[in-house]
Amino acid sequence: MRLTRAQRHLLNEGTESQRNAMQILLAVGRLADAPRLVPITSAHVSGVSYKLIGDPGLEFLEDFARDARVSVPTTVNPLGTDLAQWQALGVPSTFAEKQGRIASAYEAMGVRRSFSCTPYLIGVRPAFGEHVAWAESSAVVFANSVLGARTNREGGPAALAAAVVGATPEYGLHTDVGREPTGIVKVGVKPKGIDYSLIGLVAGERVGDGLPFFRGFRGTEGDLKWLGAALASSGACSMFHLESVTPEARRVSVRGLKSITITDEDLAAAKREHSDGTEAEIIGLGSPQLSSDELREVAGLIDRTPPRIPVWAFTSRVVRDANPDAVGIIERHGGRVLADTCLEVTLLEHRFGTVATPSGKGAYYLPSLSRQKVVFDELKTLLERYA
Amino acid sequence: MRIRARGIVPGRASGRALVSAAPFSFVGGVDPATGSILGGATGGTGERLDGRIFAFPTGKGSTVGSYVLYGLGKRSHGPAAIVNRRADAVVAVGATLAGIPMVDRVDVEGLRSGDRVVVDGDRGTVELPGIRGRRVVTAILRNRGRILIVRRSEKVGSFRGKWSAISGHIEGREDPKHRAIVEVREETGLRAITFRASGNPVLARDGTTIYVVHPFLFDTPDRRVRLDWENIEMRWVRPEELDRFETVPRLVAVVAAVLSPSA
Repeated sequence: MRLTRAQRHLLNEGTESQRNAMQILLAVGRLADAPRLVPITSAHVSGVSYKLIGDPGLEFLEDFARDARVSVPTTVNPLGTDLAQWQALGVPSTFAEKQGRIASAYEAMGVRRSFSCTPYLIGVRPAFGEHVAWAESSAVVFANSVLGARTNREGGPAALAAAVVGATPEYGLHTDVGREPTGIVKVGVKPKGIDYSLIGLVAGERVGDGLPFFRGFRGTEGDLKWLGAALASSGACSMFHLESVTPEARRVSVRGLKSITITDEDLAAAKREHSDGTEAEIIGLGSPQLSSDELREVAGLIDRTPPRIPVWAFTSRVVRDANPDAVGIIERHGGRVLADTCLEVTLLEHRFGTVATPSGKGAYYLPSLSRQKVVFDELKTLLERYA
Repeated sequence: MRIRARGIVPGRASGRALVSAAPFSFVGGVDPATGSILGGATGGTGERLDGRIFAFPTGKGSTVGSYVLYGLGKRSHGPAAIVNRRADAVVAVGATLAGIPMVDRVDVEGLRSGDRVVVDGDRGTVELPGIRGRRVVTAILRNRGRILIVRRSEKVGSFRGKWSAISGHIEGREDPKHRAIVEVREETGLRAITFRASGNPVLARDGTTIYVVHPFLFDTPDRRVRLDWENIEMRWVRPEELDRFETVPRLVAVVAAVLSPSA
C-alpha cells in the first residue's frame, strides 16, 4: 500500500497506539488489496456495549487508551445500559461498573460521549462525497445511501484505528465502482409505518451482500433510516439506492441488472416470520435510537392510548435532553426514556421474556442477542393491543 | 519446502503446526485465560495454542474474537503465528493487536499438526523444513458438463491404480499452464482444447511430501481420448460423482478450485 510521509511517520515513530492503529489499517487494507489510505472527516466506533464485548474488549480498550488519541471527530455506539438510570433498571453493579470503564476509556481517547447508533441525528452529518470511517451497520447504510457520504462497514477496532490515524483503506464503498448497484428491487406496495422495516428485511435476505437499487416507492429520511437498519440486519448490505430519492440513484447504471419484486404478501410473510411471541411484557422502541420527531410522536400516541405494559424508548442523550416534555409524558404513563444504550445491546433478558417492537432491526436481533420472543407490529397497533 | 502466501501481519515465527480443518472462532473456541482449545472442532481439544503455528481455513463468529486474540497475546498464550486459507478481518485485526505474524492464501489441508513450520509475514512465505515439495499441474478436461478422469498405471511413480485427472510434474521454471497443455496432448492426444480457468494451488499431502497442485480447466469439443502408458482406464464423469472413485488425494478440491473458485 502507498503511504504518505505522515502515515509512514506514524507507522515507524508514532506512539505505541499510533503504530498499532497503522498496523490495523495496513492489515485490513491488505485483505482488501486497497492501494492507499483515504483521509476521513469523521469516525464512528462500535464495540462498546459490555454485553457484547465483555472483559476481552474492556481489557483491550483500557490498554489502548493509555496513549491513543483520535485525530478526527469521533462518536461511539450505544452502551449496554443507561449510565444515569442503571440502578432503577436492575442492572448488576459489576456490569454497570465495567460499562462505565469502557465509556471512560473511549472518553480518554478523545471520543465524544455520544453513545448513539444515530450519529447523523446528533450533528454528525458528513457532506455528499465525504469519506468517513463508520462502524455500526445501520449508520453506515444511512451515511452511504441517504447522505451520499462514503464508508465501508468498518469493524470496531478498525474504525478506532481510522479515528487515530485520520484515514482508512480506500476500497469498496469509497470508490465509484463499489457504489454501483448489483440488482433492481421493485416494490409493488405504497409503504407506510413498519412497511419500511419489512422491505428492508425482505430485500436484505434476497440480496445478501449485494447493493440493491429500489424503485416503486418514496420515503422520508426517517422512513429510510428504518429501511436501511433492517436491510443491514438481514443482509450484509451497506448501501442502497432509491430511484428519484437518494442522491446517487441518478448517477449509477442499472443497465443489464436482474430485477426482483417485493409484494404485499412478501411483507406479510416477513412480519409473521419475525413475530414469534404473543404476550409481550414490554414495548421496546429504538434500534436505531429514536429521533426527536419520533420521540415526540411516541409521547403523543402513548398519551392517547396508554398501555398497561411499560414502554421503554431508546434514544441518544442529546435527544432525551432536548425533549423534556415528551420524556415527562412517557414516564407519567409508566414508561422510560433511556439514553446511552439501545434496544438489543442493553440488558433486557434478565427481566423480560417477550418484547413488542415496531423495529425491524430489533425484531431481527432480539431473539439471538437477547434470547427473547418478539411481537413485531406498528406502535399504534401494539398500544391498542396492550391497552 | 517453501510455500508462497500473502503476508497479512508482519513478523517471523517458527514452531510446530496445530491444524484445524474447520473454520475457527476465538470466541468459544479457546479458553482466553489459558490458550487451551475448547470443543471438538479442531480435533485438538486440550491442545494449547502457545508456541504453535495455528493453521485453520478462515475465521468465523463474533467480532469479539479480535479482543480475545489480543488478550491471549498479552498473556503469552497466543499462537506463534497464524496461517489461513482466507484471512478475515476479525482474526487479522486480532493478530495485529497481539503482534502475531499472519499469512493467508495457504491451503491448510496440506499441513499436519506437528509439522515444523516457519512463517514469514513480511515476505509472505511458509517454510516446512522437513517436507519435500513437488510442483505439479492437474488439467481438468470438460465436455458437456462431464470431466475426464483416468486411472493411473502401474508404471507411474506415484498413486498407482488411483483415479486422477490429467497431471504431470512442473520442470524447473516452466510455465504451469504450458505444462498442463503438454500433458493433455501426451496423455490424451486431444489438441483442440480451450483454456477456461486456473485455480489457486491445492496442497496434497503424501507422508513427508506435499504436492503443490496447480489446477487448470480446459474445454474439449471431443471425447475421443487416446491414452498413453501412464493411464490404463478412463471415464467421463459428472463432478459430483468423484466421491465414488478411489482418487489421488484432494482431487475433489482441485476440481472445485477451477469449477467454483469461491469454494
